[in-house]
Amino acid sequence: MSLRRGAMVAREAWSAAFSQPVASTVTVLMIVGMVLTVMLSTGRTVGAERRVLDSIDSAGTRTIQVRADTGAGLTADVLDRIDRIEGIEWAAAFSSAIDVTNTAIPDGTRVPMRFAYGDRFDRLHIPADPPIVGLSAYASPRALAQLGLHEVAGSITTDQGLTYAVSGQLSTPAFLRSFEPVVFVPQTDDRPDAAVSNLIVIAARPHQVSPVADAVLSVLAVEDPSKVTMQTSESLAELRVLVQAQLQGFSRGLVLLTLAISGVLVAVILYGLVMMRRRDFGRRRALGASRNLIVTLLLVQTALLAVTGTALGLVASVVALAAGKDPLPGWDFVAALSVLTVATALASALVPAVVASRREPVRELRVA
Amino acid sequence: MTGLTASDLSFSYGGTPILQGWSAEFPAGSTTAMTGRSGHGKSTALYLLGLMLQPAAGEVILDGVPVSGLPDAAKARLRAHHYGFVFQDAALDPTRTVIDNVRETALYRGLHRKAVTTRAHELLDRFDVVVPPHRRPGQISGGQAQRVALCRALLSEPPILLADEPTGNLDAASSRVVMDALRDHAATGATVVVVTHSLEVADACDRRLAL
Repeated sequence: MSLRRGAMVAREAWSAAFSQPVASTVTVLMIVGMVLTVMLSTGRTVGAERRVLDSIDSAGTRTIQVRADTGAGLTADVLDRIDRIEGIEWAAAFSSAIDVTNTAIPDGTRVPMRFAYGDRFDRLHIPADPPIVGLSAYASPRALAQLGLHEVAGSITTDQGLTYAVSGQLSTPAFLRSFEPVVFVPQTDDRPDAAVSNLIVIAARPHQVSPVADAVLSVLAVEDPSKVTMQTSESLAELRVLVQAQLQGFSRGLVLLTLAISGVLVAVILYGLVMMRRRDFGRRRALGASRNLIVTLLLVQTALLAVTGTALGLVASVVALAAGKDPLPGWDFVAALSVLTVATALASALVPAVVASRREPVRELRVA
Repeated sequence: MTGLTASDLSFSYGGTPILQGWSAEFPAGSTTAMTGRSGHGKSTALYLLGLMLQPAAGEVILDGVPVSGLPDAAKARLRAHHYGFVFQDAALDPTRTVIDNVRETALYRGLHRKAVTTRAHELLDRFDVVVPPHRRPGQISGGQAQRVALCRALLSEPPILLADEPTGNLDAASSRVVMDALRDHAATGATVVVVTHSLEVADACDRRLAL
């Protein structure tokens, strides 16, 4: 069908939908009901599921932490070897803590400072190019408060008298909260032999925690393995995969059940509407409409009504969910639901459309 | 010959034979009245000629070409491009406006409605349908509805025009308007076949065929 002919058919279908307000309204309301049912049941479940998974994720499900005691021989160049392992989202190494105080308050609170090794500190809101390479410190709000630095300006000094410029405030992600209060001094990668005491690796996916942990362990190259311990949230990762699988399975089943029931209802209503329009289809066929055109007209008309009903249903359900302070499902769920709803409506309309196209025009014209 | 030919047509409704071995010729440029008592198959014959019913035997021949055995899509194309129909009760779409009813067949012929709007208005003027064109069939008289149906049938200037009791619900004046229009159309070289019980209508036609 050419674009021009397609536009003519769409216009005719739109006009037909408008000229049959009762039938069109019933169809749109059915679609709205279908979308509302799915959004307020499965959509709400999916929203809750995301909250649960986000909550598990925020606990550091994918974190692998390696602690190396003094003398273990873990050095910063371990990051070069880790770079070659697949399935890693982020990695960094940190030195042992060194106590520092605000240079302006030598007797002030001591706060632990660590040298940080790695090249992706943007995740902590640390710029890639510090103003003074190797001597710029970044502190968390809690560390700044303890140091008495109410504005992000000033310097800190170690017990040995080394001074570092406080150049910014960093954001502490969940997997580094154990370091709080945090002060990091990012280092360049020209010190591969610098000793580090903590190695943090984030696996890209929860199910990759175990193999990534094994791989990291194999590239540590430490002098004394007995002084190295590794902590993973492997069991939490397994729990996350299990929860996700169960929730998704439940959601998928509920969506399919709802769409199947609603689809049958839409099919019954459309079949009834087609029966009410027997004379209309008979006249069209008598005047030269082909069977294909009748089917196309009905499907396009249904698609237009389904799109309208889906849009109205989505708006109504989002308002209802927001009013009840319930979690909203993501855009991917909404997009998938929209496509499935229109597809269900079209599938439901197919049989009535074919039935309509197959009836004898003369017999239908004689229907009073 | 040019025009329409029924060749040895047979048709039954639910086992009851309506037509058996019926043959007739409907030359181009003529009006033919099919008359006869109710139930003798006049309308059935018309719908067979109009490719809306499939004969059990025999053939409908259009301009020398057998057409009743063509696939459904081809017959639908012929109905859209070569035929015009006027049904007994007008058979207008009650949900659409008068002007949309006149323009209805444009879609089936692959034409944009706007392309035939001028012609539709000309026909409505010619047949004196003086109602706002956006009025619906339920808001006009039976005579006006039948003239709207005639406008719809004539929109494409079809070579074949079939009319089933086109004046059945009309007064004498409206009947004359319709018959004049059918004769005028035949004068352009079209084949016009009218099923009627009316002697006046039959007399107004060039030929009469009893069934």
